[in-house]
Amino acid sequence: MILNKIKNSLFIIPGLMLFVSCKKQLDINDNPNNPVKVPLTTLLTNAEVALGNSLTIGTGLSQDLAVYTHQMSTREEANDYAVTGVEFFLTQSWPRLYRTTIANLDQIIKDATANDDMIYAGISKVLKAYAYSQLVDVFGDVPFSEVGKLAEGIRYPKFDGGADIYPQLFAMLDEAIADLGNAGAANINAPDDDDLIYKGSTQKWIKAANTIKLKLYTQIRKVQDVSGPVNALISAGDLIGSTEESFMLPYGPNGATDDRNPGFGDYFATQRSNHVSPWLYEIMKGYNPKMNAGIEDPRIPYYIYNQETATSSPDNSTEYRDGPFVTIIFGSKGENSAKSQQNTVSLFGIYPVGGRYDEGTGGVASANSGTGAAPYRFITYADRLYLEGELIQEGIIAGDARATFQAAVLESFNQIDYTIANYVKPSQTVPAIFDETPASPMMKYIDEILLNFDAASAAGKLEIIMTQKWLSSIGSSIDQYTDYRRTGYPVMFDPNNPEHAPGGFVQPPIDGDPMNPGAQAKVPVLRTLPYPLSLPWAQDELETNPNAPAQKTPSEFKVFWMP
Amino acid sequence: MLMLFSALAWSQTTTVTGRVVDEQGNPVPFASIREKNTTTGVAADENGNFSISVGPRATLVVSAAGFEEQEIPVAGRSVLAVALTSATNLQEVVVTALGIKRTEKALGYAVSKVDPGTLVQKSEPDVLKSMQGKVAGVDIRSSQGTPGSATRIQIRGNTSFFGNNEPLIVVDGIPFSNDQVATSDQALGGTAYSTGLSSLDPNDIASMNVLKGSAAAALYGSRASNGVIIITTKSGSAGRSRKGMEVTFKSSVAFEQIANLPEYQNTYGVGSYGNWSNSNGSWGAKFGTRDSIPLYDGYREAYPDMFPSDNIVYKAYPNNTKSLFRMGTVYENSIGLSGGDEKNSVALTASNLSHKGYVQNSSYKRNNIGLGGSTKLNMGINLRGNFSYSRSTQKGGYFGENQFDGSASMFARSLFLGRSWNYDLPFEDENGNMLVPGPAGQFDNPLWSAKYNVATTKEDRIIANAHADYNITNWIKIDYSIGTNISTFNRNEVTEIGSRAAEKKGRLIVENYRKQETESNLMFTLTPDIGENFSLRGIVGTNYNQRIIDDEQNTGNEFITRGIHNLLNTVQQKFDLDYYSKRSIIGVYGDFTLGYRNYLFLNLTGRNDWSSTLPVESRSYFYPATSVSFVFSDALGINNNVMDYGKIRVGWSKVGRDANPYSLQNVYSFNTNFLGQPRASLGTTYYDLNLKPEFTREIEVGTDLSFLKRRISLNVTLYKRTSTSLLAPISLPASSGYADLYTNFGKISNKGVEVSLNLRPVQTRNFGWEIRGVFTKNKNTVDELTEGVTRMVLNPNNPLGDLNTYLEAGMPYGYFRGTVAVRDDQGNFLINPQTGTLIQSTELAYVGNPNPDYKAGITNILSYKGLMLNVLFDMTKGGDLYSVTVNSLMGRGVTKDTEDRETSVVIPGVYGDPLTEKPILDGGKTIPNQTRIPVNDLYFASSSVNASFAINGPIEFSIYDATVYRLREISLGYEFPKSIFNKTPIGSMSLTFTGRNLWYLAPNFPKYTNFDPEVGSFGTNNSQGFELSAAPTTKRYGINLLVTF
Repeated sequence: MILNKIKNSLFIIPGLMLFVSCKKQLDINDNPNNPVKVPLTTLLTNAEVALGNSLTIGTGLSQDLAVYTHQMSTREEANDYAVTGVEFFLTQSWPRLYRTTIANLDQIIKDATANDDMIYAGISKVLKAYAYSQLVDVFGDVPFSEVGKLAEGIRYPKFDGGADIYPQLFAMLDEAIADLGNAGAANINAPDDDDLIYKGSTQKWIKAANTIKLKLYTQIRKVQDVSGPVNALISAGDLIGSTEESFMLPYGPNGATDDRNPGFGDYFATQRSNHVSPWLYEIMKGYNPKMNAGIEDPRIPYYIYNQETATSSPDNSTEYRDGPFVTIIFGSKGENSAKSQQNTVSLFGIYPVGGRYDEGTGGVASANSGTGAAPYRFITYADRLYLEGELIQEGIIAGDARATFQAAVLESFNQIDYTIANYVKPSQTVPAIFDETPASPMMKYIDEILLNFDAASAAGKLEIIMTQKWLSSIGSSIDQYTDYRRTGYPVMFDPNNPEHAPGGFVQPPIDGDPMNPGAQAKVPVLRTLPYPLSLPWAQDELETNPNAPAQKTPSEFKVFWMP
Repeated sequence: MLMLFSALAWSQTTTVTGRVVDEQGNPVPFASIREKNTTTGVAADENGNFSISVGPRATLVVSAAGFEEQEIPVAGRSVLAVALTSATNLQEVVVTALGIKRTEKALGYAVSKVDPGTLVQKSEPDVLKSMQGKVAGVDIRSSQGTPGSATRIQIRGNTSFFGNNEPLIVVDGIPFSNDQVATSDQALGGTAYSTGLSSLDPNDIASMNVLKGSAAAALYGSRASNGVIIITTKSGSAGRSRKGMEVTFKSSVAFEQIANLPEYQNTYGVGSYGNWSNSNGSWGAKFGTRDSIPLYDGYREAYPDMFPSDNIVYKAYPNNTKSLFRMGTVYENSIGLSGGDEKNSVALTASNLSHKGYVQNSSYKRNNIGLGGSTKLNMGINLRGNFSYSRSTQKGGYFGENQFDGSASMFARSLFLGRSWNYDLPFEDENGNMLVPGPAGQFDNPLWSAKYNVATTKEDRIIANAHADYNITNWIKIDYSIGTNISTFNRNEVTEIGSRAAEKKGRLIVENYRKQETESNLMFTLTPDIGENFSLRGIVGTNYNQRIIDDEQNTGNEFITRGIHNLLNTVQQKFDLDYYSKRSIIGVYGDFTLGYRNYLFLNLTGRNDWSSTLPVESRSYFYPATSVSFVFSDALGINNNVMDYGKIRVGWSKVGRDANPYSLQNVYSFNTNFLGQPRASLGTTYYDLNLKPEFTREIEVGTDLSFLKRRISLNVTLYKRTSTSLLAPISLPASSGYADLYTNFGKISNKGVEVSLNLRPVQTRNFGWEIRGVFTKNKNTVDELTEGVTRMVLNPNNPLGDLNTYLEAGMPYGYFRGTVAVRDDQGNFLINPQTGTLIQSTELAYVGNPNPDYKAGITNILSYKGLMLNVLFDMTKGGDLYSVTVNSLMGRGVTKDTEDRETSVVIPGVYGDPLTEKPILDGGKTIPNQTRIPVNDLYFASSSVNASFAINGPIEFSIYDATVYRLREISLGYEFPKSIFNKTPIGSMSLTFTGRNLWYLAPNFPKYTNFDPEVGSFGTNNSQGFELSAAPTTKRYGINLLVTF
């Protein structure tokens, strides 16, 4: 029997051991992979990158809006203004702005405020105000007051009117400026290289905040008297005041990590889709009879890279060719529109996406054609000057519209050299474009533009300002879209406008196609949808948020600042 | 060798004669007599007399309709008298949860026994695939047609929203991970990842039981709500043998090829609208209308001698697709040894499998060895242990939707090559750079891709366990078992320099994964005597389970030099994943069966679990189950010529399930550095810190009947299974700051019927015919989500913006929503008057349901003397499939379906406004469409603005009803007469010819596509019904040899 007992206990012991170690076996659920707290530095860097990626060509809203502002042509939904709530770039950008950008900025603001790290709080408020302003400008009404309150039990934020959000953004920017200038704050943790945009410079952030305010006031000028606040901002003078103070997100090369501007992706894309709009091209070439007619823009080789040479033969018959320049047309119904031009199509160049400076020798683009390190430009010094030019021209502030406009265009050229030298850092030799000697291509160009400006009516002057701003801001399409909707300038290509497409056809340059001597065939074009006054909301948001409104008709839904 | 020599000594055969009688001594006609573990067999004559040639130490297995099977050792005798027991006293033993053996009569729930003999020697190395069409209540789906690809198995539908919905698989008492671990997104280029069970050697399976309902499975606890498959291996069940030694040798070879290719048109080459261009669609110039076309990029530079001219001939290449593929092979060899004496036994199985697919570099190789033994110690303790090891290597290319940047599906164009593309041209230059006959850059040359873009997974799996039991008294038995199951793999996904997938610079992704599951079980079995009319069996026990996962994934971008595939040879390295998780469950359980007069049984079970993944206050949870079995034929004394057995059963159960590990903390996640700065962000999931276990409740009723002395037997089960308060993420709007909230919510249900019917219409001495039919119907409905949520996307990572699978209250699980053509109230298409084409909706709508309506299989077994013919037809009715292949076959204009094209057409419909999506009215009336469009525009559109019926058209037209009828399996076996082997060590020998998937019909796909819908791009993922340029199915012919010594 004793033997039996021993035998029995042999079995029972393991069982007993299990119960004894029960609690220890069960208390193993602390996450060993992910932290519950991280340094603010990591959140700030991440939020800045996410903001840039939400807006650029390649991953962000500019991918569609560059088509809507006729700097780019694609075959995808944006063609014919058909972006819907399920369109890829839109459905990517919406959560990237709310979840990756704003939610993390809110977290920084919360943690930094608790820790009296007011510089972090201030920077985050500037970025947050800017992010919301872009959301309102693009979508009109968006969730705002109930955002990021899940812990308080709000799963489904309501949508707020753009007109109600804007005043709160001004207040947020004022708070940010106060936080940034708060000399009494402890700031035990202060940003440095983790702030990719200004390396922690509070002065530059304050200037950026003021410039955002100037931009937002300018944007609402048609629905509200803004002369008070804008004059105050101008006279205080604490605005972006030099090229290096431009509000931009730097991108980098494909080095230890891949930090390239997403817009560069078309250089190695398996299916290149970002064609340069013939509308942009013709205006820059001086082909457009109504805009900059006869004036060739010296920025073309910085803006556009041609894989073809003037005489080389393409993959397939082309829809629109002008020597080395190959593209497709918005709203095309032509038979060559869908044909692959993978190795022949012209791409955005070194300035907009960090691609290749066009030396005129052609060559198939690849990941090695450029560094891809072009920054995304939120608001440049040039933009600030254009804003001022517009305000003077419209009589809202005092000043010399012509001189301000001239300074803006000069800065537009200057920032090309600045960006290439300081950010893109190309391996090819790129000549400087900024050259104030009188006969230089730049000066010739500006002189001719100014001649037009001088000869123009008041409306014509505004058009010329807005057209130059549009040319200057290539690659950053959100404000272009806003500017067009609120001022009507620059005039955008309309396939249904007989002046743009007589008889429903676009005539590419007659002798443009060396493969097709004589007349290059005209291309039938058609627009079936009216111009969208805002973008549709991301369908995922509407589907998951019972407090969201019904999907809008984009061509009818105005943002509040539209006249 | 020693063993073979020993075998020689035993292998003289003798002729044994005998007579089979029933309990009353009356002859039993046409009983089957076969030698155990062989296919040697004869049938008795109408007077019950038989004669068979076997070895002197053979064991005979005697069976007859209506009688219990009986085993009789020959033991040197030459004349045997066999008395069979009537089936009314049938006491068939079934292995149920935790290895508890019960008599069939006492089961109050459905259990399917799978005869391992139906799974081996069928030219199918994957156990699950060879079960297709054979078990009622089980839905098995294969994924890709390449070797080692995943197989999805489901019993009675999905019980969770996003979690694992596959059954628990238990091998020799230890849960066996059947996970499919995907390294890359299968929508964009992952390979055909295998599932764990493919590493199991079918030759080593001794028994297999499928516990379908949770009543049967409840004792397994938290993972039992999806059913359980219990497998016992030969090495794990080495039983004491009356015979000294048995050796079984199996060898088979099979040849495979693509099951079917489309029927191509060879009248038009690439281009559009009847004109040649260097494009992908075969909508171009008619052959014969032009002589030559420009040479493709790169060829002249690579091979100046071969291509003296800038032009090449323009003609059709009717066999260009066919020439991409080779004949595949499956070789399998297995040897099994078992032996022992009254107290000790040992079993060994060793197998080798080598399967080469029809695409170059696609293969699956597996080596298995399993060793087990048992002994009875003098002190009364029985000890048993086994160990098995398997090594498998899977190789294959990448799949997915090629239309995304960075995707390079091997099948991007394979099935819809331009009809004028010559694939006899070289696919690479002398340095290995890719050459493509066609538009370069848009896809990788499939031949180049097969050669260089290869994923290799090397998996090791070890199973070890030990078991001891002891009878403390004559009514108390104690059992203890402990074991572990470890699977590890190392995977390399190579994208070679030049592939479009990685900026043409090459890429290597490496994943190292290890999962260990340990289980221990202590159990007391009590069988007190409680009187003549009653029986009681009680089991109480405790169970401990621990699962540990270690997973690491790294990517190297841009190879420094071609041909070396390790991370050191890359320019840029990235950490993708570094993950560890550990979870454990402790359970105590009880199981009591009360029987009355051996025809009425009541079973009660209960289990309480403590899980590491739930909050302390709710981590303990209890769940009961009960079932009743009533053998009415015994109770009412029914035993006549019509009915010989009848049972009805009812079961009810509740099973609890815990959360995923680490679901109780809100955490940050790390991102790759940017410009040298480390990055992190808030996690996208917000966790409810008050999680509770989720519960699945199920009720099932069923009956088991047999008629005409077991010539007809029928099993029918109806069930309803409902899961509530599911642990799952609720999708949140991005404006909440999160993607989802992980909490308890919602309700999901399955209702279904399972039927199996066996018939033996003819059984004579020489000829037998048996029919086995199975039928499975399951309706899986999402009953509730949560307030404010209309629907949720099932697979949020699915990159197809215009199609996804959804969960929505009142709708089938994982139904499709996608883009549709706009119609008017009468259902007429609205036609854009400016283009004459369809108008595509801006919002998504219901476009299909991937769940089949029902599945059925019929096996016919015909035997005549030594010949046996086995034919399995099965069918799947309904279930929708989104097919990129069919969409492309139509859109690219390559099949005969689109050959008739030199005309213009009018899409029937009425004019509509693309903006308002309303009909255009003329005096209040709709205007019929009269705008003619070329046939080209019917199937290929440049964008969705002028939507077509295929490429760039509404998704609804690329979704097809996947009803399919199939000749799944056919085998013809021959058992050699014993007399041939009289002077040899061979005991028996049989040869079987098999054919798999020799014919199928999917009537709802376009006629000339010849498409087989039994493919799926997401393997075992919950999102089913997607075919994104998948590898087509195969048909196989095989020869199998079985020899025993």
